[in-house]
Amino acid sequence: MGKRITRRRLVGMGLAAAGGAVLARSLGAVRPVVYAQSKAFKIGAETILSGPYGGYGQFAEWGGRMAVDEINRAGGILGREVVIDFRDEEFKAATTVKNIRYHVQDWGADIVIGVDSSGDVLAAAEVMPELDRILIVHHAATEKLTEVEVYQKKNRHIFRINVPVYQDGIASALVAKDFYNIRRWATVSPDYEYGYTSWKLFQATLKHFRPDVEFVAESWAKFNTSDFSPHISKVMAAKPDAIFSTQWGGEAVAFVRQARLFGVFKTVKATMIAMGAAMDVLEGLGKDYPDGVWASCRYWFPYPATEQNRLFVSRFHERWKHYPSYVSETMYSCVHAAKAAVEKAQSTRSADLIHVLEGMALQTPAGRRVFRPEDHQAVYDVPWGQIAHPSAYPMPIIEHTRVFPATEYYRWPPFAKPFGR
Amino acid sequence: MTQTLLFQGLVGLSGAMSLWLVSAGLTLIFGVLRVLNFAHGALYMLGAYLALTVVTSFHQDFWTALVVAALGVAVVGVAVERLFLRPVYRLPVAYQLLLTFAFVLIFDDLVKIVWGAIYQVPPMPAGLGGTVIVLGRAFPVYHLFIMVAGGAVAVGLWALFDLSLWGKLVRAAACDPEMAAAVGINVPWLFTEVFAFGAALAALGGALTVPVQTVSPGMGEGIIIDAFIVVVIGGLGNLWGAFVGALLIGLLHAYGTLFVPVFDLALAFILMAMVLIWRPAGLFGGQTT
Repeated sequence: MGKRITRRRLVGMGLAAAGGAVLARSLGAVRPVVYAQSKAFKIGAETILSGPYGGYGQFAEWGGRMAVDEINRAGGILGREVVIDFRDEEFKAATTVKNIRYHVQDWGADIVIGVDSSGDVLAAAEVMPELDRILIVHHAATEKLTEVEVYQKKNRHIFRINVPVYQDGIASALVAKDFYNIRRWATVSPDYEYGYTSWKLFQATLKHFRPDVEFVAESWAKFNTSDFSPHISKVMAAKPDAIFSTQWGGEAVAFVRQARLFGVFKTVKATMIAMGAAMDVLEGLGKDYPDGVWASCRYWFPYPATEQNRLFVSRFHERWKHYPSYVSETMYSCVHAAKAAVEKAQSTRSADLIHVLEGMALQTPAGRRVFRPEDHQAVYDVPWGQIAHPSAYPMPIIEHTRVFPATEYYRWPPFAKPFGR
Repeated sequence: MTQTLLFQGLVGLSGAMSLWLVSAGLTLIFGVLRVLNFAHGALYMLGAYLALTVVTSFHQDFWTALVVAALGVAVVGVAVERLFLRPVYRLPVAYQLLLTFAFVLIFDDLVKIVWGAIYQVPPMPAGLGGTVIVLGRAFPVYHLFIMVAGGAVAVGLWALFDLSLWGKLVRAAACDPEMAAAVGINVPWLFTEVFAFGAALAALGGALTVPVQTVSPGMGEGIIIDAFIVVVIGGLGNLWGAFVGALLIGLLHAYGTLFVPVFDLALAFILMAMVLIWRPAGLFGGQTT
């Protein structure tokens, strides 16, 4: 018995070793491009690559890789080849910090980009000064990152390329203030930082314009909720006129599907899903996405109508056979922001990069972005719109879009006003 | 208020029936084989993925998908029991835990390799996507269907174990494997069958969630914790205990969401702790199947 198992194990180990060797060779395929400098410029990228939010990582990775390949075809950054390495954030703060430490200390990253979750990014922000690397965030949305961590606590190693919860909580309310027949609002949202902070901003902004509205029910779904039935049934018992939700990724898909089963979209007059225009949600729901639902994201691929954006979308679609999700663009622009900073500073030292990035303007597919020097938040605007199913696209899109200028809906340093400059 | 309470109770009942399907297989396997099967959640996930593939890649209907998922995972169950579990029956219980936990990791990674790490969205079966008016509010037909399915499985299991010869053999083998073997029952093979049957129940539970949820690697990790609480409350190895436990946890979850949302996750654990203090062997502990 013992002998047989040993032999079997030996064969298994042999096979594994052979497989590993083949894999290693195919992964390490030599590229023909010759770079002026031999030392590669390394970008550590953090994103969620598995589970209900894994769609985000996939779309972000496509955007990041596309940017790196573009830059390398044009000779790299300061003559150095650019390499990017993605690690799975797993929606865990400890994993995110561990991955960033790995990227910087073991792998030798010159800069770190990414991070999806608000909780994870606040943990990551704590270690960046100690590691002395810049983190350019591509997705995590809590306003506390820029308003508290950067602006108040002067953590200068953090920059953010994506619009934060101002999009989810404030721009949404600017849309909702015009729903004159809607007074009773309810929410089903994630039971963590991002969910609370968005709902709080939404309530405060909407109340400002519409003292007549009421917030009649809220239900908070734990991370990894697969059955939203008790939440849906709870808020519907309060007979709301409209539902506001910041469920995202696979959870937004499950939420909308189950809300349909409970007849929610036939009962309420309006539904708003802040990150409902993310590509994985649009593709995941397909024809099950009810017409007229208000949705947004942090970059909407047909907007703005610039040549740069048109080219980005067509190249992305050609290469990956999907339209870009917002994290595709934000990850793409993070890589380009890193390039712009290094080239302007003619250095990869973090202190030099921070210096040039503060106040830097970038032309990106999402439009012109400026990193505010006070809080390191990139300023640009993103539309809200209503779900429709035009035949021109294989997935639903948003139409009847409404765009507000960033000066109206971002919060501005010193953050004394609830919104706007 | 009464209407809200009843409606929320109905939602809780459908949740309870989903949980019952998974817990039934878990408690059955423990009751007969004395194995705490951590991999039960992974089998649930495999069932969901198999059903998804049957529907989306082979364009079969939902009912075929249910059957294929149950049978397919039963075959996996046979392989796991014969090749891996059998050698560790006589070893300390920690080895079984390690082994079944290893299968959680292996199945999660296998699913990632075969189906990808990203969640997938299966289609809704025809005829089950509608709503009916219950207590003056829209209620999903699918949730009613889950309740009926859960009830049917309960009746089916009762008939199987109380009326059929196979059920009697299983109960004999569970009570005293050595005596059962002495009177000519092929106990090892019976154990394999029970494990495969429990695995099929897990797969059925997974396949039934497919139309309303999303399917992703690791989807079994959430449900396995709830299922363990259910079987501990009911009494390890007791089917009716699992049924009652699933009802308790399902309703507790629905009403917890309604009344004490901040405390919701803790409620199940508190209930379990209270039951264990009051009756350390669980509500129906001490009796098997």
